[in-house]
Amino acid sequence: MTSTRPEAPAQHPRGPASTGRPSRSLTPVEMAQAAVMGALSSALTIVSVVVPFAGGLSLLVAVPMGLLGYRYRLRVLLAATFAASTVAFLIAGISGFMVVLNCAYVGGLTGIIKRRGGGTPTVIAVAVVAGILNGVWIIAALTVLVRLRTLTFEAMTANVEGIVTAMSKIELFRESAEQTRAMFGTALHYWPVLIMAYSIFTIMLVSVVGWWALSRVLERLRGIPDVHKLEPSAETGPVAPVPVRLTDARFRYPGAEHDALRPLSFTIEAGEQIAVTGANGSGKTTLMLLLCGRPPTSGSIDRPGAVGLGQLGGTAVVMQHPESQVLGTRVADDVVWGLPPGTHTDVGRLLDEVGLTGMGERDTGGLSGGELQRLSVAAALARQPAMLIADEITTMVDQRGRDALLGVLSGLTERHRMALVHITHYNSEAQIADRTINLSESQDNMVMVDHSAAPTPTATVSPVPQSPAVGSGPVLQLSGVGHEYATGTPWAKTALRDVSATINEGDGVLIHGGNGSGKSTLAWIMAGLTAPTTGSCLVKGRPAHECVGDVAIAFQAARLQLLRSRVDLEVASAAGFSPLDTGRVVSALATVGLDGSLALRRVDQLSGGQMRRVVMAGLLARWPKALILDEPLAGLDAASQRGLLRLLTDLRRNTGLTVIVISHDFAGLEELCPRTLHLERGTIASTSAQAGGVL
Amino acid sequence: MSAARQRRPVVLLRPIPGTSVIHELWAGTKLIAVFVISLLLAFYPGWIAIGLSALLVAVAVRLARIPRGALPSVPRWLWLLLLLGMFTAALGGGEPVLHLWSLDFEAGGLLKFLRFTALSIVLLALGAMVSWTTNVADVAPAVSTLGRPLKWVRVPVDDWAVALSLALRAFPMLVEEFRLLFASRRLRPRPVMPDGRTRRSRLSDLVDLLAAGVTVALRRADEMGDAITARGGTGQISAAPSRPRRADWVALGICAVVCAAAIVLEIRGFGGS
Repeated sequence: MTSTRPEAPAQHPRGPASTGRPSRSLTPVEMAQAAVMGALSSALTIVSVVVPFAGGLSLLVAVPMGLLGYRYRLRVLLAATFAASTVAFLIAGISGFMVVLNCAYVGGLTGIIKRRGGGTPTVIAVAVVAGILNGVWIIAALTVLVRLRTLTFEAMTANVEGIVTAMSKIELFRESAEQTRAMFGTALHYWPVLIMAYSIFTIMLVSVVGWWALSRVLERLRGIPDVHKLEPSAETGPVAPVPVRLTDARFRYPGAEHDALRPLSFTIEAGEQIAVTGANGSGKTTLMLLLCGRPPTSGSIDRPGAVGLGQLGGTAVVMQHPESQVLGTRVADDVVWGLPPGTHTDVGRLLDEVGLTGMGERDTGGLSGGELQRLSVAAALARQPAMLIADEITTMVDQRGRDALLGVLSGLTERHRMALVHITHYNSEAQIADRTINLSESQDNMVMVDHSAAPTPTATVSPVPQSPAVGSGPVLQLSGVGHEYATGTPWAKTALRDVSATINEGDGVLIHGGNGSGKSTLAWIMAGLTAPTTGSCLVKGRPAHECVGDVAIAFQAARLQLLRSRVDLEVASAAGFSPLDTGRVVSALATVGLDGSLALRRVDQLSGGQMRRVVMAGLLARWPKALILDEPLAGLDAASQRGLLRLLTDLRRNTGLTVIVISHDFAGLEELCPRTLHLERGTIASTSAQAGGVL
Repeated sequence: MSAARQRRPVVLLRPIPGTSVIHELWAGTKLIAVFVISLLLAFYPGWIAIGLSALLVAVAVRLARIPRGALPSVPRWLWLLLLLGMFTAALGGGEPVLHLWSLDFEAGGLLKFLRFTALSIVLLALGAMVSWTTNVADVAPAVSTLGRPLKWVRVPVDDWAVALSLALRAFPMLVEEFRLLFASRRLRPRPVMPDGRTRRSRLSDLVDLLAAGVTVALRRADEMGDAITARGGTGQISAAPSRPRRADWVALGICAVVCAAAIVLEIRGFGGS
């Protein structure tokens, strides 16, 4: 978890079968890398086709494949190539298929050269050979496909003939027209030579560009933390993880200075429900890893048999991120995903148990975070585990989803013969357990989060101090805004209908709504990134989509908004001043409460909370007319959440910044956002204002 | 994403809502059909083969009740390019000569161009039919079934099918991430260089985007690897069995008959070379 991504390629992939035959199948990590990089290649191919200005991207499709060639064995590259070309074929037909195939060929070669330590001359030499091989292959194919070749050449000849004929009508061009005709005829006659030259040229071009891009990307990737945690267990023997007894078990990551987990002794019996609580950094995740089979640094962990991670009757884990855990594209498929072939599973009953009755045929892409997590629980239960570990599974889920998820967890130990270990940083969630293990050293050191209820429309809390800049002209005027995606196609979907609202200078507005309520679409429209299909959204009187950048927006995925490698470069690029202007970088960082010493830090070494602040620093340095924050608190621990809220509240109060928060949660937002707009299925369901604001 | 209103976008990897005979066919059948017809057209790209395949596609479109709106808008420059190509090809002339009233028109060039265009359109339509009528969740299991014979030559078909199913799962998430990346790029002012130049080279800008994209993809791959480990490695990928039914044999039969007819007629020389 804290180790960094190895700069050098993993020559010997770790795994249970690393001593097996040379042609062993892919390990989980290799499989995931092959699939995701394959998807990335095909996505790049498609984007370069669909988005007009991104044409240059097609030259970079080779990079993900190069990365695979650099870091893993050939088998991984082949699996990725197969996956990517099939996906590209499904979307863009034969041409997409060919693009991916070519890029995998070139990318794979450059990656392998990079791994072997070759340089640019090697790349050029290999590219020539590869180009010749590719040319031979195309010539061979065209030699067999006589008729296709004839047709293609004849169609081309007809076009050239036409142009030549037209040119010949004019005396001046007649001679050059005849020359063109003759040249074209000669070229067609020697088509294999032409194709060979073309093949060598393109392969060379793509190789050199790919090589350059791959080197730059690899340089940028150095020092990115490897967030993968679980290792497939190498144990043999019968699976029996419970009862498990820890005796002074302590864990320290290799190279770390402090223990990640202090010595711990306890026993978990079959049928017990245990809550593990503690502040961030107290070792909750480390304890999960130990229970999943990592040997402790000292002390001992005794079990009657093997841990059996993911095996029938073994240990099952549900983790924090809803989207990444669900592996099937269809709900029913995800439940059985990974089970040994031939295992019979009663999918309907499992889905009933987690409250997803009748949703077996639904696409997992359309599920909310809470539903995805319940699906993961169902998939865990399909393994009839003796121990189920739920590791902060409610963190990324909204209030309603959290309640449903807890409802599912609370009855599990009664219905199944298994031990449940629930790791959480929410106080209220720990209460349903039989027993609580607190990993924090002392009680007052604990930072726990309490849930807050939705503010009722009639709430009359103490009046919030108004901002000093009560110029209070309208910043954003939405009138009758509606938006439909994919208009005119069978997939048309209305996301917003007739939304009208006015947001004044210095306002703090919470736009609240569940999954699919249209709140993200509304945010994109206000930032000018999407033009609404009906109605208008005006920023100080101008249509929002004509002044992109006037209203700043900070996305939930802060990492995607950090395009440069270092904090100062990033802030300068986002704000539009020179990165050498240290003073402005430091003052921009100070605005968001970050120390100037952070300016030279690499973006990938920032914590989640710091990333969000750096994004805000860049945005605020341009003095935006309003700041939209999409789920600003998601994924942050309690302390960072409070810090960020305090910062935003102060900014609004002291500088009169207009703040719009998009969230499915209310927790702690009352002071920052006195006004709330509730969105439900694309329309405003109700509005509420604590400080007497009028909509 | 764009400001243009009436353009119909390309919708990725989502079948047309509703069901039909074609929707219900096994995904493997559709893949075989596309493969076989593509092969046919590669070897015999004559009018008869193109016509018969087009007929087959047209019937399938009809059966699947594909509305016109499913087609993405064709950009205007593509139409212009086609017209221009058609015009220059028509000027090219050649056999056969058409006698229209008193005018002689050499249609050879035009016909060659039209045949080539028709071939491209049929190939595109074939691929589009698969994505319009097939749930992506069915593709990987079908590939795994179809690829079984390849195991004899030690192709790791199962691994490939799993990688494909995971790639299809990750694809929409990555596309969404790219949407965000491009949006955050749009939000920025024109870049300023230390020496006062205001424009960076486009390619290095793209590398920055790519690096951000790859970073996020790596993180996703790490998490996905954890999820696979948590499930005890790879194994089943679908809850329902993936194999052809009676309707599939009928469809494959029709496909085979059409291909055989096209080949026979082409060899006899009806289709023009």
